[in-house]
Order: sequence, then structure tokens, then C-alpha cells
Amino acid sequence: MSKTKIHIDYSKCGEKGEIDPRDCSKCLKVCDPCVFLMHETVGAKEENIYDPQNWRITAVWPSLCMRCLKCVDICPEKAITIKW
Amino acid sequence: MCKWCTKHGAGKKWYLNSKNYMANEIGGEDHYRDYLTEQWMNFEQVYIRKIKGFSSIGLGYKLKMPIIGKVLRSAAEKMIHSEKGHRNPVRADGHFGQVIPLEEAKLIMGELAAEPVIANYCMCRWMQRGDKERVCINFGVLSEVIEKLPRFIPKERTARVDREEAIKILEENNKKGYIQSVWFQPVPYINAICSCESPECGGLRLRNDFGINVVYKSEYIIQLDQDKCEGCKQCVSSCQFSAIRYIPSQKRVIIDYNKCFGCGKCRDACKFDALKLIPREEYPGFTGEY
Repeated sequence: MSKTKIHIDYSKCGEKGEIDPRDCSKCLKVCDPCVFLMHETVGAKEENIYDPQNWRITAVWPSLCMRCLKCVDICPEKAITIKW
Repeated sequence: MCKWCTKHGAGKKWYLNSKNYMANEIGGEDHYRDYLTEQWMNFEQVYIRKIKGFSSIGLGYKLKMPIIGKVLRSAAEKMIHSEKGHRNPVRADGHFGQVIPLEEAKLIMGELAAEPVIANYCMCRWMQRGDKERVCINFGVLSEVIEKLPRFIPKERTARVDREEAIKILEENNKKGYIQSVWFQPVPYINAICSCESPECGGLRLRNDFGINVVYKSEYIIQLDQDKCEGCKQCVSSCQFSAIRYIPSQKRVIIDYNKCFGCGKCRDACKFDALKLIPREEYPGFTGEY
């Protein structure tokens, strides 16, 4: 079976986007196999931990994705694309 | 008993050996304070951080690669079970645990856990679901470390709880269907009892989906009294490991012992006293399967 590639456009979510992933987190909640991970970016300093710029969502377990595409539908910024 | 009991149990199960709760007896409070501060300040980065050139992103595919996958698996296990003097806290070296039934979690909380005790947010559920649920009980040096990192504790509430409150929290979690587990952090220092849920729990994810031994099965396994089972299926919905199934022809449930972690959730859900936990050692064919 081909690999599932889940791409998140960070110009729409987190870092440069309008939305703080910690407030939204809709993709995390909708995903049955829990493919997404919300995390600080590597190297973020403890004193900047509340800065939304330092938070992002990564599809960390793509091999467990069942390709239901619920996350693609629910994302308010249409930042998620899935290919296989 | 599992190999960690032989190694760190002093004749008992590893988590019932009181020495493993006393930081000063097994390496010193300062050593563990430094390690745990570094580990918890960077906890949310653990899956995405590159370790020896590999991050956990797409781990399922990486483990399937020929040769590299095998090397990766053995390197990960070595790291997780590391007992070396110089362990890397940002990789959480030496951090692993075991599922325990509620009665043993209560025993630890009542008699063995070091002061102070805190109840803080579950890291796994926050990272994988974006939910903050105050279900994790930490104790000893780890409590002092987490208290200083405000994102893990509720605002305007003290994180500290006394032993009775902690036991009450564990009982509530058990009722909700969460699985109790006890953790080395790092081995042999014990300082946490989690109430886990699959698939959010990082440990259960790595174990169930990728076969990496971050969480071991408990020292117990479930036993069904077929005569007492009424086929109400309550236990089926309580099992997080899909180890129980109802078969209509026999009007009872069947158990997949390979999947059973011995957490006791089904036993607590059973109204007819048909399920009980027996020591894994007493079950022929499953001795040594942790």
C-alpha cells in the first residue's frame, strides 16, 4: 500500500497564520486514530512557551491514517492536504 | 515477574520496592531534579526532535524499512530502557512503565509514593487531542519540577493533593475507564501514576501500534468464569485493547489473551463477578509475556 502523505500549510495554521493551533485543535479532536500532534517547535525557549508562534500541529503518525479525510473537511483554514 | 522486577524489585515487583521511590537512595535528588526539569521543559518536542538523525514522524513507515527499520527499533528500545549514567533527558531516556490494576495503584499512593503529591494535566491527551484533563498523579522530585512549569497545572488552583485525594482521583479515573500505569522516570526512580487512554497515550501508542516496549503488560491477566457470564457485554465496551468480544452463539464473551494487558477495567465493569485478575505467572502459556 502506498504511503499516506499529510501536509499542513503553516502559512495558514500556526506560525504565520491567523489561527493559534491550541485554540482550534479541530483536526486533533476529529481524528479517530489520533494522527496529529500539537507541539512546541524544536528549540522554543521555556519563557516563550505561551507565544502562539512557537506552536504547530504535525501529522506525526501518517501510517495510522485511515484516509477518512474528516480533518480536511473540518479545518477552518483549509490548511490540510492528504495524498496517497 | 518481569525482568524489571528481577532487576529492581528486591524480590518483589519493581513498583512495590520502596527504595525505588526514594530519590536519595538511588542517585540523589539533585541528579533527578536536573534530569526531570530538562525532560519536562522539552516534553512536547519529544516526537518531532531528531534523535540520531531520525524523528518519530512517520515512525510506522520508518520501522518497515528493510534493515534500517530493525536498527531503528533496537536503538529506540535501548534508549527507552537505558540505565546508563549519562542519559539524555530531552529524549526521555530510561522512561517507561507498566500497566497496573487499580488496587495496586491505590497501594502505591497510600504507602509508597514520596511527598509531595500533585495532580496535573495529562501531557499525552494535550498533545494528541488538545484537551487538558487533570488525571496524572506525580510524586517526589517530579512534583517539585512540574509545579514550576505552569502549563501543566490548573490556573488559580494548587496542584498539590494529599494521599486520600490522589486515591479518590485514581478511583474516579478508573470509573471513567482510564487505565492505571506506573512509570520509571528515569529507571529506577518511580514518580508517576498515569490514567491512560488509548490511542492518545504515547506509551500505549508506541506499544500497540509499533510494538515498542514503552509500556509493559501488567503482572496479571484476566480470567473468565463462563458459568457466571450473562452476556451483557458491559466488559466489551470497557476494554481499550479490543481484547474482549461477544459471541452470540455461546451467549458469552471470549477473550484474546494476547491482547489483554491485565488492567482490570472489564472486571470492574462486570456486574456478575464473572471476570477476575489472576497473576500472569499462573496462566500456562502466558508466563513471561509482558
